[in-house]
Amino acid sequence: MNLLNELVASIVSGAGHPAFFIHGQYYSYANLEEKLSSIKNVIQLNTVESEKNIGIVTNDDLETYAAIIAIWLEGKAYVPLNPANPKERNESVIEQACIKTIIDSSAETTFPDYRIIESKKLTKTSANLTPKQTNGDSLAYILFTSGTTGKPKGVPITMANLQGFVNAFKQLWPDINEQDRCLQMFDLTFDLSVMSYLIPLLHGACVYTIPKEKIKYLHIYELMETHKLTIALMVPSMLHYLRPYFNEIHSEEMKYSLFCGEALPLDVTEEWSKCVPNAEIFNVYGPTEDTIFCTHYRFIKGSNNKSHNGILSIGKAMPGTRTIIIDENENLLVAGQPGQLCLSGIQLTPGYWMNEEKNKEAFFTMQNNGASERFYKTGDLCMMDEAGDIYYSGRIDFQTKIQGLRVELTEIEFHAKSFLNKINVAALALADGIGNTEIGLAIESKKFDTASLMGYLKSKMPVYMIPKKILFEEVFPLNSNEKIDRVKLTQLFK
Amino acid sequence: MVNCMDRNEIINELRNIFIGILHHENFVMSESLSAAEVDGWDSLSHMNIITEIEHRFNVRFKLMELNKLNNLGNLITLLEAKLQHK
Repeated sequence: MNLLNELVASIVSGAGHPAFFIHGQYYSYANLEEKLSSIKNVIQLNTVESEKNIGIVTNDDLETYAAIIAIWLEGKAYVPLNPANPKERNESVIEQACIKTIIDSSAETTFPDYRIIESKKLTKTSANLTPKQTNGDSLAYILFTSGTTGKPKGVPITMANLQGFVNAFKQLWPDINEQDRCLQMFDLTFDLSVMSYLIPLLHGACVYTIPKEKIKYLHIYELMETHKLTIALMVPSMLHYLRPYFNEIHSEEMKYSLFCGEALPLDVTEEWSKCVPNAEIFNVYGPTEDTIFCTHYRFIKGSNNKSHNGILSIGKAMPGTRTIIIDENENLLVAGQPGQLCLSGIQLTPGYWMNEEKNKEAFFTMQNNGASERFYKTGDLCMMDEAGDIYYSGRIDFQTKIQGLRVELTEIEFHAKSFLNKINVAALALADGIGNTEIGLAIESKKFDTASLMGYLKSKMPVYMIPKKILFEEVFPLNSNEKIDRVKLTQLFK
Repeated sequence: MVNCMDRNEIINELRNIFIGILHHENFVMSESLSAAEVDGWDSLSHMNIITEIEHRFNVRFKLMELNKLNNLGNLITLLEAKLQHK
């Protein structure tokens, strides 16, 4: 059965079961069916066949999740728009994805210049869950991530990509049913959200979301403690926040505890395993380009777990994915040699959204058993052992992650330089006191008031990309290649 | 003598802590003030603020207590209770 038929069957058969727990309230699968039917109806009436991409304002409510499914059943793709992001950034996404219609559950829309479907104000219609016939090439969603030139870049994911992910997930984590209570801690602009709502809904389980105004790590604990979560995908930074309180956490019900988006330290994982004594813990890895995640490593309590520099291995390729390590000339490297991790297979995006230049840089083909195989260069520096387990050791470029969200440091520099005119800057990834990453901005100048600079940056980039620390240096240190010595600059922040 | 502090003194001390961590003063210390209303008050700054409060007032919070805090008024009340029982 294909993904959409399976989703519809799950919604219909789950009718009386809870599908979501949002802002302290349960919503059943029947509630979900009712909402999505009315949204699907309005999409049908108000959009033409050729209009393929529909915007969704990423609110934390039933209407927003219902809208995703309604869009899919209408054979279209969703493009998430976070209203907290700068207007200019959202407008760039809307323009790039050729969005004409936006589904918005807000009381007052932040997108008054577009055709808005007000999903909270729709009248009830009869059940309407029949999926439109499409092929696997039709898109499921386009997510826009930080781009090096200051313009967000789109990663389209097809229904076939998503089906590949779901098939692999089911093979690796088969024990999920309608009794499960699953965490959804991510904004819908972040693809880890897709696993966090889709997998539970396919199994008739319940999705527990985090209200936007809450401090995330505290609310995760609340849900674990009060609602006895059984499945949770988190970013490792949540563990760093919770670590001082591990002795208060004891979640016997947790059965799958997955981590993704950042390096997962072995010592923290060992401590966490005592908080979730019955859980299978996995470190999973994957860029947005390869649909949510595509490698997995199972942590075994009390065993000699594989790690490199204290970081748990990201493991082996999931079913349907192939992983290779290459050198600078795209030659295949053997086990034990460090190089760039490349990915191919069923989950791989067809390519960046209308960005041929970037596609030429990031994708290449390699002959494999007489067939041409397309690979994506992740930019991650890795090594694979004889058993096929992969170890992450850093980036080959200036990309970093903040709570799992991708940040191109050059994008921050681009905007800062645009504002400061000829003053040189360097954006750097700094380790904070508890092992998470934060952004520092070094400015080659005498000290000045940065209020207007920060105001400008906030008008251009999402909050997580805004530098937390500023350093003034009248002259930047240079390395032996006469380039800015980023290592020394990083040390000067301390 | 932090355990002799009255509510106003606690508020003043908390205000200084918030400014020190958040690097701005764009907030009003009302009982209903919540993290979501304050620029830059995210998970990281929240953790730093809690750590600093624990250090300055020489108290220790439990996760279950932190989890129940919805606004500044809740925090002050919790802090007062902790200081009284020292």
